[in-house]
Formats: sequence, C-alpha cells, structure tokens
Amino acid sequence: MHDDHDKPHDPRLERIRAWLSQARFFAEEVYSSRYRGAIARARRDEDDLFMLLVFSEMMGVPNPAAYYTLELQPLLLERFHDWHKRMGMERSPLDHFKCC
Amino acid sequence: MKDLLDKRLLWVGGKGGVGKTTVAASLAVLAARRERRVLVVSTDPAHSLGDVFDRQLGDVPRRLLPNLDAMEIDPDAEVEAHLTRVTEQMRRFAAPQMMAELERQMRLTRQSPGTQEAALLERLSRLITAEDPEHDLIIFDTAPTGHTLRLLSLPEAMAAWTDGLLAHNRKSEELGKVLSHLTPKRGRDVATPFDDPQEDPLSGLDERTRDVARTLIERRRLFHQARRRVEDPECTGFLFVLTPERLPILETARAVAALEAVKIPVAGTLVNRVIPDEADGDFLRARRQQEASYLARIDAELGHLPRPRLPWLPTDVQGLATLEELADRLEAIGF
Repeated sequence: MHDDHDKPHDPRLERIRAWLSQARFFAEEVYSSRYRGAIARARRDEDDLFMLLVFSEMMGVPNPAAYYTLELQPLLLERFHDWHKRMGMERSPLDHFKCC
Repeated sequence: MKDLLDKRLLWVGGKGGVGKTTVAASLAVLAARRERRVLVVSTDPAHSLGDVFDRQLGDVPRRLLPNLDAMEIDPDAEVEAHLTRVTEQMRRFAAPQMMAELERQMRLTRQSPGTQEAALLERLSRLITAEDPEHDLIIFDTAPTGHTLRLLSLPEAMAAWTDGLLAHNRKSEELGKVLSHLTPKRGRDVATPFDDPQEDPLSGLDERTRDVARTLIERRRLFHQARRRVEDPECTGFLFVLTPERLPILETARAVAALEAVKIPVAGTLVNRVIPDEADGDFLRARRQQEASYLARIDAELGHLPRPRLPWLPTDVQGLATLEELADRLEAIGF
C-alpha cells in the first residue's frame, strides 16, 4: 500500500486514510498484546522452572555436579531474591539461602 | 598383558589389602626399567604408596628412581584450592552484602559428602588430559570403578546445569527482543529479532554471567576430554588386583562387570598371594585346598580376561630392593 501523490487532496480520502492508519494501529495492538502477555508469562515461567532446578536438591533430586557449579551461586542467589520478591515475599523464605 | 605398560594411563584397582599398591609400584619399577618415564599417582589418605616405596610423598611428583616419579593427591588440599578460586572469582562480581552468605555456603560445601571425591576427580581429570612432556605413563593407584563411573556421567550432569543457565539467559534475551518487536513503533524501523543467528553461546550474556559460563564450559570440556581418554583402549588400561578369597573375587567381578557395561577397557586381573608350591605343612595343605576352589572360581568368573598370578611372599614388600624383585616376577608372568 503506497500513497498516491498524484491524486489531488481530497479531505474525505484524508480522513479515511487517517482512520485506516488508526485502525491498523489498534489491530496490531490487539494482535500483539495477546502475545505480549504470553511472552511475558513465558519469561516468568522460565524463571520459575529455573528456580525449581535450583532447589531440586531440596526436593529430593540431587545434583551430582553441585561442586562443579559453585560459580553459579551468586547468580542463583540474585535470581532467587527477584523470585521471592515477585512472589510477594519481603524476605527470603529459606533459612539456608539468605539473599537479603 | 605385554602392552599394558605401553599405554599412557594405567589404573590399578582392587579391594583394600589385596596388594594393589604393591603391584602398582612394582609395575612402575618395571616400566621405568624399560625406559618409560613413569608417574605413579595415589589418592590413598593412608599414604600406602609412600610406605611401599619407603619414602615421603607429596602433592608434586617426587623422583624416586631414574624414570620414576611418585605423588599423593591430598583431597582436602584440592577442595581448599577450589573453594578459594571460586570465592575469589565471586568477589569480583557479587554484591558485598551477598559475599557473607556466599562464603557461608562455601564453608558448608567443604563438609558436604561427595566434595572430596569431586575435588579428587577434577584433579585426576587434569592429570589425565594434561599434555605432560615429562611422563610417558601414568599409573593410578586408586579405586578406579567409582571414579570412572562418575566421570562418565559428569559432562552431561554439568551440561544440564550450565545449559540451563545459558539457555535461560539467552532465551530471556530473545524473548525480550520479540517483546519489543511486538510493540508497534509507529514510523520507526524495527529490526527483526531473527535476522542475526547467534552461533556464539555466550552472546546475549552480561560480562559476569559470561565469566561464569566460560569457567563452567571449560570444566565440562575437561571432563569430556578425560572421559574420551579413559574410554580409549589404546590410551588406557584397567588392571584389577585380587587375592583368591571370597570378598575380593566378588568385588572384582562386580567392578569388572560395571566397567565393561559402559565399554571401559579392562585389560586383566592379577591374582596375588597365591600359596607357593614349596610351602608345606598340614596347615598350608588345608589352605591350599581352599585356595584351589577360589582359583577355580576366578577362572570361571573372570576367564575372559588375562589373569596371571603372583605368589604369596614370605615377607612384606617394602623398599626399592623388594620392588625390583617383584618387578622381575611381573615380567616373568607376562607384563
């Protein structure tokens, strides 16, 4: 769709074009917002899944590579902190994981 | 068994008390005699390797004979070194208020079961994979089955965690890009998030995460390489020492089966402390009878492997002179 600059200025045409442009914007928004929500949720689910992996040992699934992945601890601590804040907990709910 | 000492790595295993360390030391003496530059490595906290050589051994190779070096790995020292390294790396990036908690977790790790074993395995892996210009053959006097089996699954166990971290960070990054793409920007050009396929696994990560990821990837690579060497029969051989007694036979049969199940090359067994022909008396006659049934059992259960025998010696083996004699005997039975 391209603008035809040869045609004379017709106020009605202009109004229709403006309306079409608005409509397109709203249509895109409707389309996008559905997916924006899903993607934002996917990001949170990812985090929650990661938290599950992190605390698998607590839940009875030992990590045989724990000693070799100690470097991950600071990252996990921070991510856990974000997580419990997001879950509405002011302080860390775990005694052995004091991020704050 | 002739080519056993021509390999790069030799693991001598066996139940405690069957003469494993003595055999490992004697094989080392024999190999050194053949102009192979040997390093014997022990992980026994009881210093049995040092005892058999009648010398004090430490964490660095010590020259005992021409072509023969020996060392003992101290798992506690390995753990300390690892935790120190990790803590220092953390300190560069972790928030100060988190350092206290992180240091506390490091202290807890020190006591955790499996920590010593893990540290040991990492040190062994470094020895296995190092391009060592000073030694042709490394003989490990240690319990090979446990170490080996753990080593085999480590790369995958690490991948599950390392990739989890990287995938999360990368995926989050991509999700973020998709999010911004989906928000219409009127009049502005939006680049598609898919026009630049990122091959680099470290792309999209901040510097600190990149630092951590690099360390973990290196470590996983180490275990991968160690595993490859251990699985290669040209490179590695496993020898199990046992005595003609019930428990050693059971344990050895189990260990051999476990390794063969994962295609690890078992070169053979060595039956130690067989009652010599010249030993006499009623007592020995009775013992010899019992021993015969065990020897038959060894032939039955481990018949698919070479299983040369060493006699029971009149005195303990200690010191280089006795080791030289034992080396002669080993040569005579086919090593």
